[in-house]
Amino acid sequence: MEPLLLSKRERRKLAGQYAELCLTCGTCAGGCPVTGVDGLDVRKVVRLAVLGLDQEIVDSKFPWVCTLCGRCEHACPMNIDLLKLLRSARAMRDRDKVPGVLHKGVEMCLKTGNNVGIPEEDFKFLLEDLGAELAEELPGFEVPVDKKGAKYLFTINSKEPFAEPEDMMFWWRILYAAGESWTVASKNWEGVNWGLFTGDDAAMKEIVGRLVQNYKELECEYLVLPE
Amino acid sequence: MHDLLKQYLEEGRIKVDKSIHHELTTYHDPCNYGRKSERAFGHGYYEEPRWVVQQCCENFVDMYPNRANNFCCGAGGGAWAAPYVEERIFYGRVKAKQIKDTGAKLLIAPCHNCRDQIMKSLRKEYDFMDVEVKYLWELVADSLIIEPREE
Repeated sequence: MEPLLLSKRERRKLAGQYAELCLTCGTCAGGCPVTGVDGLDVRKVVRLAVLGLDQEIVDSKFPWVCTLCGRCEHACPMNIDLLKLLRSARAMRDRDKVPGVLHKGVEMCLKTGNNVGIPEEDFKFLLEDLGAELAEELPGFEVPVDKKGAKYLFTINSKEPFAEPEDMMFWWRILYAAGESWTVASKNWEGVNWGLFTGDDAAMKEIVGRLVQNYKELECEYLVLPE
Repeated sequence: MHDLLKQYLEEGRIKVDKSIHHELTTYHDPCNYGRKSERAFGHGYYEEPRWVVQQCCENFVDMYPNRANNFCCGAGGGAWAAPYVEERIFYGRVKAKQIKDTGAKLLIAPCHNCRDQIMKSLRKEYDFMDVEVKYLWELVADSLIIEPREE
């Protein structure tokens, strides 16, 4: 084992604002269901960060098996920004080493407007088709697409049109019953933002920006991310 | 989302029938609506969804611990879409126990991710297929008394 030069600590990025205040009490790790997985836990990650061993954290699986649920941060007596630390470790991974489909989903969303790449025509056809099906039960129902001046703009989780389209009808039934004024955008309707999970702030901002653009162009009062 | 459902019910814009869901029902606090919302926006959505659930269900029981101290389903932060399946299921053991300990036969989850982890993975892995899982808005939709209108 190589001795750790304390000068190395000056280059650390992950220690963040408060990590040095850690009392090493272990409250964080004690209440965390993934403590010990990959030989790490939240408390140890803070120790690594304080010592400037950023790369060990970045290369480990831990920041990804952690679900960023925030229970540790909630319980921390020193109010250390643990989620920021763990998410920043995700951000410092090379993008081609982001586990699974998360980064591919982000790229797909930037390219097509949703995480799974559903083309606009298919999306509109699906909404029309399902809307007509529901109208058999609820007379006059249709999915209002790009309706200017609607009160609520709803985003959609791409999982639903992709794999569980009937599940979209739950909200539709409620909105019908309430006689609500609402709409869905034909482009950039994705309500899931995987940039949050991959630590990709630039992508996250771009995706949120598109939702806000829809909301402004359609002159809606509220933007609803129903999940 | 919670505010909207609550508002519809409070203002009487939608009507629901409680007797449809008579089984013992519990509620899962997603991290994003609870702890994280509390930290980011100064308000955690703990009471609103519980109130909505209890407009639609006759028998309600809370898991322990709950609200800000609730345990994550195990699939948050992108873990549902990540390749660490074994770790995700291991993580979920705590949630599974919490759910089973309530004795509830219906679980309400107001988050796509939590619902999928509990319904499609944990129920099978930890043997509680007898517990039905619904989204919060699915519960409301299933409880609706709709008077069809002509437009």
